[in-house]
Amino acid sequence: MRLNSLLIYFLISFLFGCSDNKIHHDKDFIFGTLIDIKIYGESKIHAEKVSNEIFNEFHRLHKLLHPWEQSLITDINNAIAKNKSIPIDNDEVISILIHAQYLETQTQTLFNPSIGKLIKLWGFHSNDHKQETIPIQKVIQKLVSSNPSMQSIQIKKGVLKSNNKDVQIDLGGYAKGYALDQAKKILANNNIENALINIGGNILAFGKHGERDWVVGIQNPRKPNVLATITLKPGWAIGTSGDYQRYIIVNNQRYSHLISPKTGYPSNNTQSATVLIPPSKGSGVLSDVFSKPLFIASKENKIKMANLLNIKQFLIIMDNGSILISESLNKKINWEDDIDKKNITIF
Amino acid sequence: MILIKKILQSSKSVKFGDWFVITLFCALIIISAKFLWSLPQGEYLEIYKNNKILATYSLNQEITKEINGTKGKTKIIINNGKVRFSSSPCPKKYCIHQGWINKANQTIVCIPNQISISIVGAKRGYDTINY
Repeated sequence: MRLNSLLIYFLISFLFGCSDNKIHHDKDFIFGTLIDIKIYGESKIHAEKVSNEIFNEFHRLHKLLHPWEQSLITDINNAIAKNKSIPIDNDEVISILIHAQYLETQTQTLFNPSIGKLIKLWGFHSNDHKQETIPIQKVIQKLVSSNPSMQSIQIKKGVLKSNNKDVQIDLGGYAKGYALDQAKKILANNNIENALINIGGNILAFGKHGERDWVVGIQNPRKPNVLATITLKPGWAIGTSGDYQRYIIVNNQRYSHLISPKTGYPSNNTQSATVLIPPSKGSGVLSDVFSKPLFIASKENKIKMANLLNIKQFLIIMDNGSILISESLNKKINWEDDIDKKNITIF
Repeated sequence: MILIKKILQSSKSVKFGDWFVITLFCALIIISAKFLWSLPQGEYLEIYKNNKILATYSLNQEITKEINGTKGKTKIIINNGKVRFSSSPCPKKYCIHQGWINKANQTIVCIPNQISISIVGAKRGYDTINY
């Protein structure tokens, strides 16, 4: 009989082994947003270990880069506000800041992570966005004319100094993408071949979903469903800037968290801007950063900006619902049935 | 019931091999039940010609489609969630004999006319959402 029990036990475990999905799925809440990790085709133990390692890395970045909870960045900001220099004993943060300086120049300052004061003024330095008033125009103008820029920051021999004390660093448009790139390293180091990482909508396709590529649905900014689906080839990253996740509504008007550094006001000509970035070491960061200039630029400058930044695959939904899409993305996107094709302009 | 009673009564005469067979078959029944019930319903039908996607239709409609294959016309019927081949110029008509399919990832292939249909989707046709 003992042998029989053993046999039954063996068969039952075999049964569970069979019904087990090939995907290990894990979620956590970091960076004020949902993190969703799917690992395909690995043992449960290994997949769990790797996703925990990724979550731990994200917690570390959260504590390191947070724009308003105490972090190295808030320490830097406090020093800048007091017109003091501050030693930074952290090569990672130094290289992030230097990269952010470069990206600010590259995007003709439409990506400007030094406008923390403006973002705070609009009430986006909180997790609940409950601000019920819009800031006073004079205050906004004063902050804009103070001309905050990453270029004001100088780092020499590990000591940071800003010659503009209105600079306040907010890496909100960079950190999630950076986290994607870090996750990529962890997956590779652990010999994971297939995974899908989603950090609050910023997604990296690592390998494939077994035999097929990963498929991503793109959220419709004004409806509770997707507007299209798209296949993400191995190594590709996708990022969207939208006015529908973080915003305040004052007098029935929507003010998104995407504030134009040039006007100090939320950009209101766009519902969403999506970019797809081909595989590279820093594809995660670019998928996060490059959606911002496409969102914020004026309508006539959006396409110019895409060309300038060499973004071959983009999708922009304007405030009136009209759709601008690049030719190469249009070739591979699958629209949902409720999308009116007459609304689409191909570039 | 009688059979089970008989087996229990004569359990002394049930040998290891019998138990093995009984357990194996029980397990097989549970596995297939689990597998078949867990298959998600499909949402879309994809029609392929020579491995190239020809068309995608919603399964939630009643409609007959005619497809031109390499040998001639194939008729495909979509009927509220399920789909089948209804006529085909192929000699053996295997594709028609397959009957209705309605679950995600089910496929019927007609090799002579080089037409295949595949149900995709479950509820969501994607792995994650970009927002």
